Amino acid sequence: MAIAPNFVRPRNCATKSNAALRRIEPTLQRGEKRIDEFAVAIGRKSSAAVSGPQRVLIADDHGIMREALRSLLEERPGEFECVGEAQDGYIATIMAKELRPDIVVMDIAMPNLNGIGATREIKAELPDAKVVVLSMHANPSYILQVLQAGASAYLLKDATFEELTSALKAVRDGQVYLSPGISEAGAIRTEPGKPAQGTILQSERLTKRELQVLQLIAEGKSTKEIAARLKISVKTVETHRKHLMDKLDIHSVAGLTKFCIREGLTSL
Amino acid sequence: MQDRVIICDDHTLLREGLKSLLQRNGFEVVGEAGDGRTAVKLAKKINPDIVILDISMPFLNGIEATRQISNEVPHAKMIIMSMHCADHFVLAALHAGAAAYLLKNTVFEELLVAFRSVLKGQVYLSPAIAGTVVRASLQPSSTQRDLLGPRTSSREREVLQLLVDGQSTREIAATLCVSVKTIETHRKRFMDKLNLHSVAELTKYAIREGLTTP
Repeated sequence: MAIAPNFVRPRNCATKSNAALRRIEPTLQRGEKRIDEFAVAIGRKSSAAVSGPQRVLIADDHGIMREALRSLLEERPGEFECVGEAQDGYIATIMAKELRPDIVVMDIAMPNLNGIGATREIKAELPDAKVVVLSMHANPSYILQVLQAGASAYLLKDATFEELTSALKAVRDGQVYLSPGISEAGAIRTEPGKPAQGTILQSERLTKRELQVLQLIAEGKSTKEIAARLKISVKTVETHRKHLMDKLDIHSVAGLTKFCIREGLTSL
Repeated sequence: MQDRVIICDDHTLLREGLKSLLQRNGFEVVGEAGDGRTAVKLAKKINPDIVILDISMPFLNGIEATRQISNEVPHAKMIIMSMHCADHFVLAALHAGAAAYLLKNTVFEELLVAFRSVLKGQVYLSPAIAGTVVRASLQPSSTQRDLLGPRTSSREREVLQLLVDGQSTREIAATLCVSVKTIETHRKRFMDKLNLHSVAELTKYAIREGLTTP
């Protein structure tokens, strides 16, 4: 709720930043057949082969969050079965190897091994398991890193349970799911049947001058100070400022400052 | 009679999950809020027995919401459930009138213990933070500090929070039903008190203090 509205809608993204688009490795179909045979060999169900409840492993360092999720999943016994809870990424990888869940619901910020590292390890061992990331961070570099590590979905913690169940169903069917707050942002885009695409940083959409102005705004400089620093007129600074606010669809200095922190353009 | 609970957290999934857990354990969840301002409104209207509050929330943080609810609805017990364990959060929450403070790495069983304690009029603190409170109580009171420093008023903190959530002076005036001029006065005062003279610096300060998230 606090984060999503700061994101930008895709506005002439395609024309401006095609060069900056990076492809993400498709991880969805790889190894599907092999793991099915393996699953049969060890006598466990695989959701791809048998339609039973999806077996879910929850990884989150907040105990209350894990129990909250488990309680919600247990309200739909025909659809989901919570097979385990892990309080960090390291334990999640061990439990995943042991329990072979269909889905791992994964937080990012966790002690010992974070969700990005855990996703990478789990996908290496169990390519058929889907990872659904549930994070409070809408940080674009996190999103990209974890999708590249093999995650199939990225949801913000202000998502509803209804949205989580849609995501769980989508990834079961081999699709990628991103919270509307993220996909509308233009940071990452998906099309059916194609791997997710995205820019590493949304600030890549700004011109060099706009970026300079943005950074100085986030450092607390006034329009007049920025003009003096960049040796341009106040009026020109105002124009750059208006353009960059429109491009990012962020219309307050507070919002711009938060954007710069997310993108690593300024520090706290 | 069932105890009536309001859950206030900006993470919808946690809110929904807590509701499910509480209902299974015989509590009635009478309201949910995603920000502190809505929580205060709901509490005034519904008069709950217990309000569970997160600290970092948009529009009005959990500590200010606790302060307002304990003034308006003295019967209600506030339970703070936060990821922040720094002493100034804990102390500010208790000063504001919270009856319990739990960390989010808690388990539901502990939340139930906290519920039973506060309904009996007791205070409950997670063992991990009890030491903080004891240490503070052993120190001269001059070293205690309120959230955002002791010198800012409740109203000033409210304006600051709205400002760092991206509202303009005019929008803040409309939200709080006061004049633009009044907001400008508040704004100038807390900028002077905190010695921070740009919205960018205030925003970073608020993030460091856990009032808002980037």
